[in-house]
Amino acid sequence: MPISSFYGLQTAMRGLLAQQRALDTTGHNIANASTQGYSRQEAVLAAAPATWIPQGAVQGGAGAHLGSGVDVQAYRRVRDTFLDLQYRAQATRLGEASARTEGLDRAELALAEPSDDGINKQLSEFWDAWSDLANSPDDAAARQSLVEKAGAVAEAFGIVDSQLKLVGEHAQAEYDALTAAGGEVETTAREIAALNDTIKRFVTAGDTPNDLMDQRDLLLDKLATLGTTSITSLPDGTVEVVFGGPGDPPMIDAAGYHAPALSNPGGRLGALRDLATVPGGVIDSYRQELGTVAQTLAGAVNTLHGTPFFTVNHAPPASYGAASLAVAVTPATVRADASGDKGANKIALAIAELRGKGPDSDYNKFIARVGSEVRESVRQEANAQALSDAVLDRRDSVSGVSLDEEMGNIVRFQRAYQASSRAMSTMDEMLDVLINRTGRVGL
Amino acid sequence: MANTRITTGMTQRNILADLNRVNERLVRTQQKVASNKEITRPSDDPFNTSRALALRTSLDGTQQYQRNIEDAQGWQETAEQALNTITEAIHRAHELATQGATDTTDANAREAIAHELDQLIESVRQSANTTYRGRYVFSGTTTDVPPYGTTDAYAGSATDIERQIGPGVAITLTLVGSTVLGGGQAAADGKPLHVLRDLADHLRANDGAALRADLGRLETNLDDLLGARALNGARQNRLEAAGSRLDAIEESTVKQLSNTEDADIAKTLIEFNSQQAAYQAALKAGASIVQNSLMDFLR
Repeated sequence: MPISSFYGLQTAMRGLLAQQRALDTTGHNIANASTQGYSRQEAVLAAAPATWIPQGAVQGGAGAHLGSGVDVQAYRRVRDTFLDLQYRAQATRLGEASARTEGLDRAELALAEPSDDGINKQLSEFWDAWSDLANSPDDAAARQSLVEKAGAVAEAFGIVDSQLKLVGEHAQAEYDALTAAGGEVETTAREIAALNDTIKRFVTAGDTPNDLMDQRDLLLDKLATLGTTSITSLPDGTVEVVFGGPGDPPMIDAAGYHAPALSNPGGRLGALRDLATVPGGVIDSYRQELGTVAQTLAGAVNTLHGTPFFTVNHAPPASYGAASLAVAVTPATVRADASGDKGANKIALAIAELRGKGPDSDYNKFIARVGSEVRESVRQEANAQALSDAVLDRRDSVSGVSLDEEMGNIVRFQRAYQASSRAMSTMDEMLDVLINRTGRVGL
Repeated sequence: MANTRITTGMTQRNILADLNRVNERLVRTQQKVASNKEITRPSDDPFNTSRALALRTSLDGTQQYQRNIEDAQGWQETAEQALNTITEAIHRAHELATQGATDTTDANAREAIAHELDQLIESVRQSANTTYRGRYVFSGTTTDVPPYGTTDAYAGSATDIERQIGPGVAITLTLVGSTVLGGGQAAADGKPLHVLRDLADHLRANDGAALRADLGRLETNLDDLLGARALNGARQNRLEAAGSRLDAIEESTVKQLSNTEDADIAKTLIEFNSQQAAYQAALKAGASIVQNSLMDFLR
């Protein structure tokens, strides 16, 4: 079977076109080198279907497959879905740890310890004032100063409590903003659902919309920092997403977006909820413990004082001890001693002896607890950050654009393009000889 | 990992993350140097924070006890001076009594002595009514009431006052007037005010025998006063000892507090320098990695 003289031209043409497509893809990669969520693409080249010559192609009359050049088989998105899975799990952990650390950090700042303005110092000055009263039980100035110091203690407790309360409210507000209608969770989910629809149309037409899939993966990553996600890829190219609770019904499915149940959100949402929940949340437990310290203080002082010195109402969550601590005496009603003697100071002595005991040591324990929890949270965040970075590195190692590699590819594809065109011009010269200079004897 | 592709974004991100980490440490160390504190918030070191808080409380307490002791010392000195004056007065009374008891002293002379004795009694009563910062020191807990008013009856309280001079340590501050001077003739307790009044009466009654008996009673009173002054002196010694112990405790508490929460400047500065060197090295390495590209070498 004869083979067309122009056969080689076609082969070279295919080469030119394929190398051009490969170069285009390289250009696309370079252009998107710093696009967030972009996965590098490659033009998958494969030998074009060979021309089958049934017989007489080679000596002995046998047939052959004659190579016909190259074709672009597909434009592939280089991505490892297993790494996506790993990354999203770490992103959820990191989201949780960092939201928790932010909240605890603010709570720790609210305590203002160790400093000269914290509750510890105020308590210390309060005991000093009792000691001064014991030295001068009849001194109006000592009484006045004691009542003022008591007020400062109550105020310090109140301020710390209100700051803690603010941290809890802040967390709740952020949680509400994220999960509200039109909040970040919903808008992200709706974008994913919309991309699902578009991707489905292309995939059913046999197409792979790489860049749209990248966009969707980026949105899924974002969702993963907010809460736990469980993502199922369906054959039609869409994804089904369960968000904020392993057993919950899907938030995104074929029908689009559904409000999530958030039974156990995890991630940033989970941490915010842990911080804000009343009663039982972390901030609430701090306020309760601080309230107990205030209650211990009021109890110990009142018992020794005989008449109520402080009033306190610790019945969380309706009323917290630290917020309700108030001074119930005036300089005139402060009792330095049970007897009316001007110089007697038994009560003042006994109360001054409380320094370093119950209330002080309870407060110290509370500070140590908060400190340890913040430290642990910071450690967890650093740990989650390191793991998340490691997975991100692995993912980037697979999907990221390496400019050096792309430069190498440019050279490779450019040379291949040049060689293909050289093959074509060689073919052209050959045909020129055949057409224009062959059989011209005698012309 | 074999065959790891290092991508451009990865390199940049890692360099940036490393720089941030080194920088963060640098800032932290800088804060330590600037504030001279190892602990600026509880999470820096929860255990030592709690320790530092307890040490601060105990330091404040120690300083308060020192103030209490100063106040108590002032009180004791006042009491000591008063006791001294009273002792001198009774010594003088003893001399007068000795003079009056001799049979050569006649009624007129005894009358004159009795007159001087009245003045002495008044001065004893005045000394007993000594105040420290407006408080009667011999009145027990009723510091606003003079122990001896218009009569010789003791008007104060029998309850002692205490001062706190350490955690759980209190010292009795007062000498109750009635135990030192007694309640006068009406109380018939044999204490100075009773004996002195008797003495004056006996002088006026020109009763030599009774006067000689009074001499013995006065000597007993002097012994008792000596005992009271010894007690007072012992308290002063105790206060002084407690004061110097508190000074030592204060010093060691300050030291412990400093060890717990203050930064070791030499160590911190060395850390700072090595971190700075690390930061510069990281910057340099990062810059040269980021700048290089295959493009520099292709035509």
